[in-house]
Amino acid sequence: MDTAIRAVFDTLSLTSILVLLVLGMAVIVSMMRVFNLCHGELVLLGAACSLLSERWFGSALVGMLLAPFVVGLIGFALERSIISRFTGRPAGALLATFAIGLIIREITRARMTVQALPVTPPIDGTFAVGGALLSTWRLVLIVAVLVILFGCWLLVSRTDIGLRVRATLDNPGLAEAAGIPTRLVFSGTYAFGAALAGLAGALIVPVQTFYPDLGVQYLVRSFIAVMLGGLGTFLGPIFGAGTIGVASGLLPLWIDGYITDVIIIVAAIVVMRVRPAGLFSRGGS
Amino acid sequence: MSNDFTRREALKKLAMTTGVIGLGLSGVLAACGDDEETTSDTAAPSTDGASAPATDASTGGAPSGDPIKVGVLTDITGPFSVVGLSNQAIAQFTIDKINAEGGVLGRPLEMVLVDSATDPAIGAQVARKLVEQDKVAMVIGGIASNMREAIKSVIATRGNTMYIWPASYEGNECTELVFNTGQAPNQQLDPFIPYLLENAGKTFFLAGADYIYPRNILGKVRELVEAGGGTVVGEEYYPLDATDISALQNKVLSSEAEVLFSVVVLPLSIPFHKAIIDGGFTGKIAGTLFDETSQILFADAATGMLASQDYFFSVDSPAGTEVREAFAAAYPDASFSSTFNTPAWYRSFYLWKNAVETAGSLDTDAVAAAMDTAVFEGNPGGPAAMKAGTKHCSLPIFIGEVQADGSVKELLSAGTIDPTECG
Repeated sequence: MDTAIRAVFDTLSLTSILVLLVLGMAVIVSMMRVFNLCHGELVLLGAACSLLSERWFGSALVGMLLAPFVVGLIGFALERSIISRFTGRPAGALLATFAIGLIIREITRARMTVQALPVTPPIDGTFAVGGALLSTWRLVLIVAVLVILFGCWLLVSRTDIGLRVRATLDNPGLAEAAGIPTRLVFSGTYAFGAALAGLAGALIVPVQTFYPDLGVQYLVRSFIAVMLGGLGTFLGPIFGAGTIGVASGLLPLWIDGYITDVIIIVAAIVVMRVRPAGLFSRGGS
Repeated sequence: MSNDFTRREALKKLAMTTGVIGLGLSGVLAACGDDEETTSDTAAPSTDGASAPATDASTGGAPSGDPIKVGVLTDITGPFSVVGLSNQAIAQFTIDKINAEGGVLGRPLEMVLVDSATDPAIGAQVARKLVEQDKVAMVIGGIASNMREAIKSVIATRGNTMYIWPASYEGNECTELVFNTGQAPNQQLDPFIPYLLENAGKTFFLAGADYIYPRNILGKVRELVEAGGGTVVGEEYYPLDATDISALQNKVLSSEAEVLFSVVVLPLSIPFHKAIIDGGFTGKIAGTLFDETSQILFADAATGMLASQDYFFSVDSPAGTEVREAFAAAYPDASFSSTFNTPAWYRSFYLWKNAVETAGSLDTDAVAAAMDTAVFEGNPGGPAAMKAGTKHCSLPIFIGEVQADGSVKELLSAGTIDPTECG
């Protein structure tokens, strides 16, 4: 029974982590058609906020609150200076974001004197459900992800800003003619995606550990989730992440770890072959 | 229509082509030419100037004559850079110490350092450079087994140069001219498992990353556990690039084993061990990868971990203590721990020195023949001696327990354990 309780909770936790990670990437991929290969490193920067906050202020909490702003600003600067130069040239954008990611990752590595560093969650400890002891911070993460999801949805679909953003991404020419500052919208959207990535990193790192390749490991999974769920909608990548999260969490209980990975990727390929636009995409975009 | 291949076009193309070829050539020349730079004066971790320790030099005056080049190959950059920089530091320290003691055959040693960048393909390239261009007398290095596999044929088989592999590993390395000075599985495990069966429990859960080292180690653990009357209640592996091993944690907790034998590696070992303890695991955690660095990595979860190594800081070994303290003074950022292979690197140089001086020359075959039975009395923890016919090293083995302050308390000195490889 305890095994089942732990399994359900761990799967919920893993899924929420994946959703949070995918959110930032989904914003950028769906809306800007830029395959942001430095997404993982933006997550890493957010994680660094938590790490440094614990080192300087004694608690990672400050870092977690500041991470979206810090990483969002960095994202804004990156988009303005480098990525905007590759509008309309996806191959160039791919290479540029890959290079940015590499630079961030290797600078991080050069500054570390140990291979990995733990980060203490602001709310540590466990709580009991039945005979199972579950991590309190993972519960906080699940709740936080739900709140963030709701907030994003509100922002995108119910606010004026969200309306302008959607207008720009649908039809930049017409939006520009209507007085919407499209350049700013693109930079702002990238910054928003970066802020989400940073927040994800800051919240997740206490559950994992801080090391330079942290972003790389999640990158492939995030991409698959986004492709699986489909571009163009807000919910698509979320469901993609959800599917992969549930599968990754439950399958290893019965099947060897590496076979699980293979099954998930093969299944994703099959789905993408059958429905190339993803499971939940809007037609035609 | 006129031909639009104008003179302007032709000149432009010529300029481009010349430029590209020029860049390419200069790149090739730069790569070939400059590697003499990467010797001991490049960024070793901070040293306080005088790197030669106060010497009780017994073997006479300063070494003279042409330096003997020794190839040091390790991962200065890439994911293993922390260990690689430590390796570089101990190599430099040991070479300086040997030179202060009179060198080898009266000649000073000179380190030729190359960076394998945690990439076996790059390792093979730089190994070739060491053997063919620098013509080093021997090569020492490698951190992970896949690196050893990539470079050993370049160095030993095709390059006819001695290669010393100074790392505890999964066993089965018997290639000619390859000498293994780190612990083989039986050395860490033969004294360890009986100790665990007697003092920790009879039910074992075996957990490890899915590659050859954990597979071999855990396979051997299973043999020893079952031979000793214990039971293996679970054996699970996870893919190296996994980001989440909650399922593995769940199985460990559900098994209620008395001993978790863990070969879970970085980076996931950090959240894994914490989750096991937080999840209420009441058994003992034992492994072959625990030492004085465990508390830095695992924090509270490290307390009580049981370890088996060739040296702990707490061991009563005057030679070990002296070297360790001198090294820490000269290279404060480096680590003398077993999992960084530092004691093995240190003894490798001295074992090789012993072999060269026994052979009386640097001739590879003569040195290899002498290396077969080389000895080093000053090995940290106790004398080390190569076991004849095995190309492996008999070593002192200790069992210890990680304390809350990070130190490892010695629980048992198992004496000198012979390797059972290649016999």
